[in-house]
Amino acid sequence: MIILHRLVRLVIVLLVVTFLSYAMLALLPGDPVTQILGIGANDEARAQLRQELGLDEPLLVRYAGWLGALLTGDFGTSPITRVPVAAELAERLPVTLELLVAAQVVALGLAIPVGIAAARRAGRALDQVLTALSFALLSTPVFVLGVLLILLFAVTWQVVPATGWTPISVDLGWNITSVLLPAVTLGCGQLAVYARLLRADLIATLQEDYITLARARGLSPRRILWRHALRPSAISLITAVGLNMGALIGGTVIIETLFGLPGIGRLIVDSIFSRDYLTVQGGVVLISVGYVLVNFAVDVVYAAVDPRIRRA
Amino acid sequence: MAGSGTAHLRPRDEVLLQVEDLVVEFPAGRGRTVRAVSGVSFDLARGETLGIVGESGCGKSSTARALIQLPPPRAGSVRLDGVELTTLRGEALRRTRRRLQMIFQDPISSLNPRRRVRDIVAEGPRVWGAAAPVNGGVNGGVNSGVNSGGAGRADGGGLDERVDAVLEAVGLDPRTAAERRPHEFSGGQCQRISIARALILEPEVVICDEPVSALDVSVQAQILALLEDLKARFGLTLVFIAHDLAVVKNVSDRVLVMYLGKTCELAPSEELIARPAHPYTRALLASIPGSGLGLPPADRLISGEPPSPVSPPSGCRFRTRCPRAADRCAVEEPEIRPLNGGDHFVACHYPDI
Amino acid sequence: MRRRLGLGFWIATGWIALVLAAAVLADVLPFARYDETLAGPPQTGPSAAHPFGTDGLGRDVLSRVVYGARVSLGVGIGAVVLGLAIGAPLGVLAGYRKRAADAVIMAVNDVALAFPALVFALAVVAFAGANLRNVLVVLGVLGVPAWTRLIRGATLSFAEREFVLAARVLGVRDRRILWREIMPNVAVPAASYAFIGMAVVVVAEGSLAFLGLSVQAPTPTWGGLINEGRTLMETAPHVVLAPSVVMFLTVLSFNLVGDRLRALSDVRQSGLEPVRQAVAVLPAAEPRPVAGALLQVEDLRTHFLTPRGAVKAVDGVSFTLERGKTLAIVGESGSGKSMLIRSVLGLLPGTGVARGGHVHLEGDELTAFTPEEMRQVLGRRLGTVFQDPMTALNPVRTIGTQVAEPLRVHLGMGRGQAREEAARLLASVGIPDPARMLGRYPHQLSGGMRQRVTIAMALSCGPDVLFADEPTTALDVTIQDQVLRLIHRLREERDMAVVLVSHDLSVVRQWADEVIVMYAGRVVERGTAADVFERTRMPYTEALLQAAPRLTDPAHHRLRVIPGRPPDLAAVPDGCAFRPRCAYAQDRCAEQAPPLLSEGGHLHACWYPTGRTMTENEGADSHGR
Repeated sequence: MIILHRLVRLVIVLLVVTFLSYAMLALLPGDPVTQILGIGANDEARAQLRQELGLDEPLLVRYAGWLGALLTGDFGTSPITRVPVAAELAERLPVTLELLVAAQVVALGLAIPVGIAAARRAGRALDQVLTALSFALLSTPVFVLGVLLILLFAVTWQVVPATGWTPISVDLGWNITSVLLPAVTLGCGQLAVYARLLRADLIATLQEDYITLARARGLSPRRILWRHALRPSAISLITAVGLNMGALIGGTVIIETLFGLPGIGRLIVDSIFSRDYLTVQGGVVLISVGYVLVNFAVDVVYAAVDPRIRRA
Repeated sequence: MAGSGTAHLRPRDEVLLQVEDLVVEFPAGRGRTVRAVSGVSFDLARGETLGIVGESGCGKSSTARALIQLPPPRAGSVRLDGVELTTLRGEALRRTRRRLQMIFQDPISSLNPRRRVRDIVAEGPRVWGAAAPVNGGVNGGVNSGVNSGGAGRADGGGLDERVDAVLEAVGLDPRTAAERRPHEFSGGQCQRISIARALILEPEVVICDEPVSALDVSVQAQILALLEDLKARFGLTLVFIAHDLAVVKNVSDRVLVMYLGKTCELAPSEELIARPAHPYTRALLASIPGSGLGLPPADRLISGEPPSPVSPPSGCRFRTRCPRAADRCAVEEPEIRPLNGGDHFVACHYPDI
Repeated sequence: MRRRLGLGFWIATGWIALVLAAAVLADVLPFARYDETLAGPPQTGPSAAHPFGTDGLGRDVLSRVVYGARVSLGVGIGAVVLGLAIGAPLGVLAGYRKRAADAVIMAVNDVALAFPALVFALAVVAFAGANLRNVLVVLGVLGVPAWTRLIRGATLSFAEREFVLAARVLGVRDRRILWREIMPNVAVPAASYAFIGMAVVVVAEGSLAFLGLSVQAPTPTWGGLINEGRTLMETAPHVVLAPSVVMFLTVLSFNLVGDRLRALSDVRQSGLEPVRQAVAVLPAAEPRPVAGALLQVEDLRTHFLTPRGAVKAVDGVSFTLERGKTLAIVGESGSGKSMLIRSVLGLLPGTGVARGGHVHLEGDELTAFTPEEMRQVLGRRLGTVFQDPMTALNPVRTIGTQVAEPLRVHLGMGRGQAREEAARLLASVGIPDPARMLGRYPHQLSGGMRQRVTIAMALSCGPDVLFADEPTTALDVTIQDQVLRLIHRLREERDMAVVLVSHDLSVVRQWADEVIVMYAGRVVERGTAADVFERTRMPYTEALLQAAPRLTDPAHHRLRVIPGRPPDLAAVPDGCAFRPRCAYAQDRCAEQAPPLLSEGGHLHACWYPTGRTMTENEGADSHGR
């Protein structure tokens, strides 16, 4: 019942998101044809491109046609590079996905122990240090952090390469080396968000009556933490992971540019500068739809772990 | 228990407030509704205190809010001095509503933390300006009582004096209290401020929704004593809602017992305690530790837990917990009827007489 | 309020003011213009003439950073104002009007929040043109959903408070309610979010600029400076470090100011910072164990060390308890009765507490036990039930897991055996269909059923003493009777002792054998229930008894009014703590604290005890037993 309700909402959100992605680029000031071909193009080329882009029809009709093609995997062919956008995206997607997953692993892998350690010693020296550090990390823009890390690890100490990408298929070791610094950079911002959230949530949970009662039943602190306190807090963490996907995806654009990784984000930025309007649109659609789907998955997981929602 | 019916109502021209067949509904999700109040009727004579008592979920607070039309009831009538409130809308409702004032359970939450006590108390007169007193001293209103002469009521100076006078009447020192904010006061003092805010408009009826439930015994006694004093001094008419029968009995002239949105019993408070006729009233009294009334132990008068208000039992709503329940109780809802032809009313097929 | 904001807040505010002033006054400040090349030798480090050094073209980096602040702060402030201007009215409308307006606004908002904001900003700026106005508008509009949600949440939480209802009852119009009652309360979280929002926007603008999609060259922007400086990282790192550090400090300052402002309105958080002090041990007399006592508490003290001074929550309490008896601890809120139980059980917070005294359980001195040893006692020999059954059970674990847990941990039962035993325990506390109940979650049970579950958990290992802290205060009176009856029956069946904490004198009168009356952290009267209720010696106890309404009193019976309120536990008056409220107080009461004196086992702490015997409501029937 609830899943059905959420599915209906998912479809609506997807329609709105794709429509906006489409309409945004179609409706913005400036003729896309001029933007693509430049002012000096001749009329014949302009008319051909207009037709190629389907700009003669009303917006909704063009959207419907575009969406239909999209569902069959046809994102159109870039008028600049003459390469199908879908093929370009498919080639770039694994890089971005790997970066995202690696960043989440870094963020959660560090945030959980840090959050727990801080919460268990709330108010003491370790907690204060960790809290101050995560606050500072939270206030560091991702490109500033990236520049600093490159300066330290690639330029000064030269432990990892500053830029470049080796796919897994070529060499696993080099792949890990090339994703390490970008993933740490991207993950650190999230690390701060998650750790702060987990700390605050755990402190609140640890003050609940049922925790005091668990202590009154003679359960060990370790058991209380893992069996009693962490599960409600984990639920909040899942929500945060979903909500922060947007920030993380935004971050990949920066990170890919900064570290020279051939992912979707870099493709979008490059295409913006080369006025490759169809490729930008394809990239934006792919990212938006992916983001919406991840949020939907988080919602479903959330409902599955929290009994209060499951039965509500 | 549940009874409906209006046999206990007095002639309209003798009462100040008359409530008939009140129904309050709330959405309960998935298109279902809960009937929090289901056909409750009662009335109040001028200067009388009616106690409404019942356990959580009986609809007593929903009844209070329906009286002030926040939100308006689903059905039924609320007549104040002959004026039907349920059909009023907009400005007319706003003007009439101020004749009823309310005091809430949570003393902290009922005062705006960011306003000074003087502003909180003065809000009513500021909104209503010179037109503030609505009942022209019918019952020797608060302002004429505490502030000799009504001259210059709405102008700045006069308003300050009125606020000081009403603060003094509720036992606060205006010199120290008026300029402070609510968080500097204890729960009992906050409740005094709430009472001052209500009284300054000279309401005809004051509805007290669990006004002492959040307070300690010693503070509770202070507030109950204050309410009794103010009632005597200004001729107030009170609806006093609480879950504690001992408290309700202490302040009320008559008591209405509710269960799951229905009326069980209505009687003068002494009579109700001395000769409880409804099985639920008896169970309620017997559950009070050390009641000293010589009733059988409560576990022989009531069993189990209250049913869900979303799907209440058929017939009498108390039958699922009642030791006297018979077949008839499941099919026929008892109508409220007088006992011994007097002023004691009960809605039960098999009352204890 | 000023002190609560802390030093960091003021330093951060100072930094923001400094950057803002520099940005505004950039044209008159004594440095080269941002685009003047060869203002100094290229790529030189910081010097007196160029505090931040020069870049690859010999431009003054300080000047470029200061001019960059114009864009960053301009966009930051402008976008937040824009987001607030659109989002706040929408949020207020949704939160105050509710129903249809709320549903529509929030549905749109949910969809809007489902966008990856930066990617959209990127695309829009790319196609609409990268200039100050477009960047500001895009970032402002993208902030609208967050503003709407925040303002709606704040409005909603206040619109449902009773003071808004009270204003409507007074006849106040909606517009005035919004301005006078709701706005002042929403303003604090909004101010807090404005600063955090500025941090977000400054970072977002920086990101766009870094990608070359904000204000175009030659106007410097922080993101752009960092991007340019990147290429000189190996030879002149100061070119990239200077704007990075300034940007970091600015974002940090905005976040810090926002965070501190939020702490102002967030009650829960302000309570979280305990005073950092090691556990102190208060001096106490040598233990003198009483033979035959099951539980003996001697001179127990618990003081909380706060900035206002030591809060003496429990201040020298002693009592003994035998098997098969119920001891009631009665007092008003703040009398220390709950803290007494927690002190006996050792369930105090780890920091900011000073404690003293001894607790003996059948000859074992619990106060000398290590945490591990104490865990063998808690749950096994001491069981606990708390006031609010809503919060006493873990909301995300099933009843079965929770009831079986002590059985498995303390008694080493296997999963199956523990479940069987759990079902048996649930049946013993009167829960119908216990086997099915094992798979349920707490929110699916009524308050009374939940309290039965917590009792079953407390009894699972067969404790010697059951501590019940206001076990029925949150329950309806008919359910209260059932629960108290159950505790009494279980005490008989299991030959336990019960410590019952309550504020309700009639509950105590009916169910207790012995009674302790507490006031301001101390015992003021102690004795059998008959002693305390019928041969009351302490004026406070007498006043409490006469202040509580009774069913047998006539209607409109005048209750005894105790003036004033209980003392602040951080500043308990000298002499007798009850003196300021006592009708019988004399000079001596102010000078000397009365000791707890015994008259044939009936103890009271009063210089002028009352001799009055309360006979009228005597023996208020014990039929319930």
